[in-house]
Amino acid sequence: MSFGFPWGLLALGALVPLVAAYFLRRRQKPVVVSALFLWRTPRPRAEAGPRWERFTREASLLLEALAVVAAALFLADVRLGETARTRHLVLVVDGSLSMSARGPDGVPVLEKARREAAKRVEEDGATQVTVLASGVTPRVLAGPEAEPSRALAALESFQAMGADHDVMPSLVWAQELAGAGRRVVFLTDAPPEAPALVPASVRWMAFGAGRDNVALVSAQRRDEGGTATVTLRVARFGAGPQEVEARVRAKPGPGAKEGTERVERVRLPDEGTTTVRLTFQGAGDVEVALPDDALPEDGRVSLPPSPIRPVAVGLAEGLAPPERQSLERFLAVAPEVERDGAKEGASPEEVLLFGPRGTDARVTVGAPGKPRTFVGPFFSEKGHPLLDDVQLAGVRWTAGDNPPGRPLMTAGEAVLVSEEEGGRVHLNVDLTRSNVQRVAAWPVLLGNVVREARRTREGFPRRQLTLGEPLPVVTEAGARYTLVGPGGSRPVFGAGAVDLPPPSGPGRYVLERDGDEVDSAEVLALDARESDLRGRGAADVAARESSDEEERGSAPGRARWPLVLLLVALVADFYVTRRVPHLESQTPRR
Amino acid sequence: MDEAAVARLVPGLGLALPRVPHRGRVGEVRATSAGSSLELHDFRAYQPGDDLRQVDWNAVARTGEMVLRVRQEEVSPRVEVVLDGSRSMALSPRKAACARELALLTAEVAGRQGLTPTLLVAGARPERAQGPACRAALHATTFDARDDLSASLARLPPLRPCGLRVVVSDFLFEADLPALCSRLSRGAAGLFLVQVLDAEDLDPSGGEGARLVDSESDAALEELLTEDVLAAYARRFAEHQRSLRAAAVRARGALLTAPAPDALAALVAGPLRPLFVAGGGA
Repeated sequence: MSFGFPWGLLALGALVPLVAAYFLRRRQKPVVVSALFLWRTPRPRAEAGPRWERFTREASLLLEALAVVAAALFLADVRLGETARTRHLVLVVDGSLSMSARGPDGVPVLEKARREAAKRVEEDGATQVTVLASGVTPRVLAGPEAEPSRALAALESFQAMGADHDVMPSLVWAQELAGAGRRVVFLTDAPPEAPALVPASVRWMAFGAGRDNVALVSAQRRDEGGTATVTLRVARFGAGPQEVEARVRAKPGPGAKEGTERVERVRLPDEGTTTVRLTFQGAGDVEVALPDDALPEDGRVSLPPSPIRPVAVGLAEGLAPPERQSLERFLAVAPEVERDGAKEGASPEEVLLFGPRGTDARVTVGAPGKPRTFVGPFFSEKGHPLLDDVQLAGVRWTAGDNPPGRPLMTAGEAVLVSEEEGGRVHLNVDLTRSNVQRVAAWPVLLGNVVREARRTREGFPRRQLTLGEPLPVVTEAGARYTLVGPGGSRPVFGAGAVDLPPPSGPGRYVLERDGDEVDSAEVLALDARESDLRGRGAADVAARESSDEEERGSAPGRARWPLVLLLVALVADFYVTRRVPHLESQTPRR
Repeated sequence: MDEAAVARLVPGLGLALPRVPHRGRVGEVRATSAGSSLELHDFRAYQPGDDLRQVDWNAVARTGEMVLRVRQEEVSPRVEVVLDGSRSMALSPRKAACARELALLTAEVAGRQGLTPTLLVAGARPERAQGPACRAALHATTFDARDDLSASLARLPPLRPCGLRVVVSDFLFEADLPALCSRLSRGAAGLFLVQVLDAEDLDPSGGEGARLVDSESDAALEELLTEDVLAAYARRFAEHQRSLRAAAVRARGALLTAPAPDALAALVAGPLRPLFVAGGGA
C-alpha cells in the first residue's frame, strides 16, 4: 500500500471528535428502565469472556469510523497493488557535451531539461521515476524506480560532458526498463534525424537552439627534456568571429620559478581548423582558454605534463660486428630510444634487447647455418604492424636456417622474419652478404620493431584523448589492474593491449597495478561533433504509441473503492440508526 | 398521590374477601372457629367447663341430655398491604403515585369494611403501619431500595396469617416467581398481586440509541432502540407476564395489572375489579 498524497491521512484526525461525540452523546441520553433484563438478549453462554456482541452494538460508531477512514484513504490517494496504482516514468537525458550549451537566453539546455523533467513528473503524477543518461555507455542516474524527489535530485547533480553517441541503445534500454505500455521521455537538444526510427513509446523533447561556436577540437602536449610542446586545433562552427584570442597559461613546473601566460591570436577559416603550436620551458600544467561562447566547456583544457617515455634498448653480447654496427647506426638516430636502458635499472622485461640467434634477446639478428640469398619474390603477411611500409624492391636478402615462430616474411622456403608466441622476433638476415641494411626498408623495419615495443609497454600508449575515443591500455599478465577515473574505479581485465570503451566523461584516468599508480591519461572535454551546435533546435515529438495511463484517461484519478466504501458505510449507518416511524409520535423520552 | 380521588372511591367500595373461613380478632366477619355470634354453627354434648349460657335448654327439655349450642365466631380479619419500595416503583412520578394510591385505597376500604389493615413497605428501611397510620406511612414512603421485592421481603417482619394480602409492585425483576408467589400467599386466605406498570414499561419508545440504565442496580446497557430491539423487549415482557400470572394462580392468588397512566377510578372499574367490589360488601 502506498499513498500519493500522504497528507490526506490527516483526515483520520476526525476520528477523535467522532468518538468523543459518540460517547458524549451517549452519556447525555441515559434512559432509566425498570427491568434491564428484559432488554438484554439472553445468551446461551455465561456473561464472562469475550463479548463480540458488545462490539456489534457499536455498529453505528464502527460504521462512522469506517466512513472516516475511507474518506482519509481517498484523500491520501491510497494505492494498492503494483500495476494498478504505481506510475512509473522513465526519463532519458542526453549526456552529450552539447547539452551544456547555453541558449540565446543564457540558460543551459541541461537546465531546461531538468525543469521539463520536474514538470513531467508532476503532471504525470509519477510515483516512481527512473533517470538514464544516454552516452556511449548508457548509465542509470536514479533508480530503477526511485522516488521522484531522489530522481530529480540525481538529475540536478548530473553534468552532461559525454561524447557524441547514438541514443538508440539508451532509448531501447529505457523502453525495457519502463515496461510495455509505459512512456519514456527523452530530453535532448536536437530534433530526431529520423523520427520514424525513434521507438514508438518515446516522447522526444528537444530544447536546444542553433548557435555559432568556436571550439578546441584537439589539444596535445609533449614534454621532451624541459620543453613542453602544446599543439592546439581550433575550429569555428558557424558564422562566428574570424579571429579569437587563445589564452594559454603555463603554470610553473618543478624547477621553474614562475609560469608563463600568452595570448595567441588565432585566425579561423570558414571551414576547417587552425593549428597552433606553442612551446614552454619548465612548464607545469598548461591551461588553454578560448573566449566564452555558447559552449564554454569546449574552449578550455588543462594539459598536465606528459613526459615521453623512451624505449630502453640494449645490444647483447655476441652480436656480429656488422649487425652491431648496423643496429647502432639506427639507434643513434631513432627518436625516443634510450640506449643501454638495462644498465640504468630498467627491468629486463622493459628492455628491448637485440642479440644473436640462440639467445634470450627479444629481437635476434643473424643467419646461422647455410646461407641462401634471395632477390625476390618476397612474401610478407599483409597488415602486420612489423611490416608496415617495409618495401623490399631491389633488396638482396641472405638468410640462414629458418628461425622458430610464425613466419611473417618468406622467400622461397626460407623464413626471413618470424615472430614467436611470446613476442620474440627473429630477423634471419646475414648483413655481410645482404644489402638490406643499405635500403630504406631496414630502418623502417627496425622502427616498426621499436614502435611495437613501445606499444606493448605497460600503461597508456596515448596520454591525451578526446571524448568518445576508446581508451587503449597495455597491461601485463599476472597483475591486477584498476582504472580509476572521475566516475569511480573499475577493474581492467585482460593482458596485453586492451582497448577499453570510451570513458563516460572527461578527466584524469589513472591505471593502477595492485594499488600502485602505473600511468595516467587525460580525457579532454573536446568533441568536434558536439561543438557543432548549428543543427540543434527545439522539438516535441509525441510518442507514436499512447501509454496505458493515457488509455485509462488523462487524469491520474484516485482509487474509487474508498468512495464506494464511504458510501456503503454511510448508508449502513443510516439504516442502523434509522428512527422507527410509529414510535416518533409517542411522548418524548425523559 | 391523589388522596381526593381515593377518598371519593372509598365509600362505594369493598374488598373482595375470599369465601374461605377467616381468622382474626373479634369482629364482624364469621370465622372458622366457634364463637359467640348469633349464627348457629353446631350442636354438641355438654362438657364440663362449657359456658352454661350456651346450653340449649329446649333440647335438654326434649331429650333430657345436656345439649350445647355451638355458635360461629365473628372475627375481624387482617388485611396486609405489602408495598414494593424499590427504585423501579418511582420510575416515573405517576407510577409512584399510582402505587401509593392503590395501597391507600386498599387500606382505607379495608378499614371502612371493618377489617384491620396493615401496611408493610418493603423499602430500603422497612416500614410497618396499621390502621389510620397507613396514610402517614404512605406519605413518608420513599422508593429507594436498590434491590427487588423478593430480596427486600427478607428485611420485612415476618408475614403474619391474615385474611387478605395485597402486594403492590411492578414485579419487573428476575426472580423465582413461583417461589415468591408461594411465599406471599403463605398464611393468607387470599392473595392479590397488584402490578403497577409505567407507560415505558408497557410500551417503551425507541428510534435512537440509548444508554439503558437499570433503576435499581444502575447496570447499563448500550442499545439502539430499533424496531427489532423493541419487538424483542415486547416478547420478553409478555413471557414474563405469563410466568408471573401462572405463578400467582398456582399460589391461589390473582395478578392484576394496573397501567399507571390510567386514572384510579378507571383502574378500579377495570383491571382491579376482582379486588374491589362495588357496594362495600364482604
